[in-house]
Amino acid sequence: MNAVTVTSSKKQSLMMSRRADFMQRLGRNIGQTFLFSVTSLSAIAVLFIFFFITRDAIPFFMPEAGNFNWSNVRQFFSETAWYPSADPGQFGALSLFYGSAIVTLGAIMVAVPLGISAAVCLSDVLPFSLRQIVKPVIEILAAIPSVAYGFFALVVFAPLLQDSGGSVLAFGFWLIALPVLGITSFIAGEAFAARFPEKLRKTASLLSISVLGMLSLALLWFVGQRLAGLEISSGTNAFNVSIILGIMALPTVVSVSEDALQAVGRELREGSYALGATRAETIMRTIMPAAISGILAAVILGVMRAIGETMVVWMASGNAAQIPAPFYNFMEPVRTLTATIAGDMGEADHVTGSSRYHVLFALALCLLAFSFAMNLVSEAVVRRSRKKLGKS
Amino acid sequence: MQLHTRKLLDRSFTATGFFSILMMACALVLILYPIIKRGTGAYIFRATVEHRRVQFDEFGAGSVQEIGQEAAEVAAARQPVFDMIAGHEEGLKTGLQDAFEQIRALAATEGGFLARSIERRLKRVHDSSSLEECLLILGAVQETLEGRLQNERHQNVISLIKERKKRVHAEAKKLADMKDALRDLLGPLPGDRASELLRNHYGQTRWDRCLHYLDKFLYKYGWDYSDPLSGGVKVRTPRVDEFHGTAIEPIFAYVRDNLEAMMRPRLTFYWRFLTTDSRDAHIFGGIWPEVLGTFYLTIGAMLFAIPMGVIAAIYLCEYARPTRTVSLLRSCMSTLAGVPSIVFGLFGLAFFLNTVGVSDSKSVLAGSLTLALMILPTVIRASEEAILAVPFSYKEAALGLGAGRWRTVLTVILPAAMPGILTGIVISMGRAAGETAPIIFTAAVSVGLALSPLQTLNNPTPALPWNIYNLCTEHEAVDEIRHVQFGMVFTLVALVLLLNIIAIALRARISRKLRG
Repeated sequence: MNAVTVTSSKKQSLMMSRRADFMQRLGRNIGQTFLFSVTSLSAIAVLFIFFFITRDAIPFFMPEAGNFNWSNVRQFFSETAWYPSADPGQFGALSLFYGSAIVTLGAIMVAVPLGISAAVCLSDVLPFSLRQIVKPVIEILAAIPSVAYGFFALVVFAPLLQDSGGSVLAFGFWLIALPVLGITSFIAGEAFAARFPEKLRKTASLLSISVLGMLSLALLWFVGQRLAGLEISSGTNAFNVSIILGIMALPTVVSVSEDALQAVGRELREGSYALGATRAETIMRTIMPAAISGILAAVILGVMRAIGETMVVWMASGNAAQIPAPFYNFMEPVRTLTATIAGDMGEADHVTGSSRYHVLFALALCLLAFSFAMNLVSEAVVRRSRKKLGKS
Repeated sequence: MQLHTRKLLDRSFTATGFFSILMMACALVLILYPIIKRGTGAYIFRATVEHRRVQFDEFGAGSVQEIGQEAAEVAAARQPVFDMIAGHEEGLKTGLQDAFEQIRALAATEGGFLARSIERRLKRVHDSSSLEECLLILGAVQETLEGRLQNERHQNVISLIKERKKRVHAEAKKLADMKDALRDLLGPLPGDRASELLRNHYGQTRWDRCLHYLDKFLYKYGWDYSDPLSGGVKVRTPRVDEFHGTAIEPIFAYVRDNLEAMMRPRLTFYWRFLTTDSRDAHIFGGIWPEVLGTFYLTIGAMLFAIPMGVIAAIYLCEYARPTRTVSLLRSCMSTLAGVPSIVFGLFGLAFFLNTVGVSDSKSVLAGSLTLALMILPTVIRASEEAILAVPFSYKEAALGLGAGRWRTVLTVILPAAMPGILTGIVISMGRAAGETAPIIFTAAVSVGLALSPLQTLNNPTPALPWNIYNLCTEHEAVDEIRHVQFGMVFTLVALVLLLNIIAIALRARISRKLRG
């Protein structure tokens, strides 16, 4: 008797009543809607950011609704006089755009060659055990707060540049140019010697290599002397900031381009090695072209890191709103968009609603638009590379 | 190309890779070395008796007997210095004595208004009045005399006063200069009026600063512009040269040789640097309000970011189908990750403070919300990766045992992904703790006290990253408090690196688990 009732009640519980089924489905739907709304909340945040930055930037370009103030717009994009506290304020932001650009360019010149060759080394050269040591180094570089970098730039690096900038520059130049010129002269000598008949080749190569080596040494010595004689009037300048920003952008460049190199896969490598290519040739001719879009994405991310950075440039760029003369002079102080926003908002905050306040939002809007465009480009690039690698 | 050229190219290629990795490691070492070396100097240093006095007076640290005994011994060591100065001043004063006598004699014979005014002035001169006072009174008398109808006798007295004043004044100026240097080193001298600023109540608290100021005391620094081609050369002359042949000459040798007895440097582990607040704009004391502010901001940011981030990751991994909406969501998130940090700060100001009005002015709450928004993409991405790394067989097993989708996520996938999620959370905590730009307009102030948890809803707070910036760019005595700046940077970097080391250890455990 007992057993029978148990089975019958079990039978009942297996079938859900209509009500229970409805409740469960409702619960599932509510749960999913909740999850979806929380997720979209974090996505909507970015729309909010665009909306609120634009809302506060518009009054600068358009003091009355629907009525563009073209003189303001023209001044903003084409003049270099930045005197927000004058009456009436002058808001020529060209020098700020220029400052951001030169600093980013400098950072890229540091981060991209170093970062890509480090990524190549990490993915194709280093044995596993060494890689386990290098990875934390990159992670720590990425983890150090930007204000600590800025502090280093201002308190340690800037005085060093100011006191003995010439020798620092000369040392850096020797460090980089000596191996480069050495290898170049060696290869050029070999190539030159290859034109001679077999018998003479050895002496010819020896001769041409030594001549080229001498020449490049003389060049090195000359440029090094010139650099060592340089005097840097201010240690807080575009050069200082470029180096530090380059170091800050390094981890991004390294890890993203290493991922891209890893994604290429073993088959291509093995095929190339099987054809007798050396490691350098494999990487330069086979892996790099396959991974180029991922590496491009890494460079773009590095640019975004450098251009959006605030504390380092605010502390160590010198904050002079000017276009240095000549325009490629890295040893002059500059002022960037981010530093201007950070530095001027403290004074403009209590005059909320003034054009001093709104112009900073206009600067932020430019930054935002730039990083958005960069993001779109990098996404497109990554999508393309995925497609390409998927096909091959 | 020849074979050995190709080999050479290959080698140099490899060498370039090693070189760049070496450069990266060098950069890390070069940046961390000064921060760690000088930053630990804020905690462990040779503290002088002044440090212990500040600690006792302001923070109640140390015992009365010890401080008192040490103060007595130090005072005994310093007494000869003060005696020498007093003796020298006395000597200079006697140089003025005959001028005073002449004036007295003049007043006695003159009579009338002039005499009364001079008498009144002279009454203020007595044996204990200082050199400066004597000079002031002499000047006043001289003015009175010059304002009167003058005869030859007046003229004589005036010229005598002028001559004496000139001679003594130069000496007195040198002496005052030297006393200022001594004040910087030892603290207030006997007879000084109490200063408003706390920093003038004590001498140097650190032995390295002592040595710096000892050098300033022993040598005078000036600029030599005699060569018009080079712009000014720094010259350093011994101060003792100015006092040759006077009674005060041995003071320099005495201070140099007995500085240790006067300051009592002792190697100290100053852990209170972390747990006390600051006095007189960070000249004395520690960094507790900043540390606490950073703590509040980080915890607040995580309170908002963790639930949102983990839920979003669960949705994206387990529920979302690859529709247009979802790919749009993902695009939005990657855009959010690329927004510059300063723009987050402006957004926090425009939205959380000016539009929504979460608080009346800057507050920890607004700063936390802004920071949470900034680290949200990191948290989502890390959680997503952790969830995707859970082996598919776990999910299949749970579903096969009859668990629903929600139950599978809660009881199987999340626990398995937890270490990975934690790793991401810890790393983004480090990012939130170190980020400055978003909190400039939303949460940070330069000077403030430690807040209680309830106050965070409506009050701004000092925070480590902001105060590092503030102290090294806007403080009025930047060079005086380098050790505090380095201490702050060291504390922040140590905090962030600690979080990262925890993350690395967590990750190592996960990979061991997955392998084993």
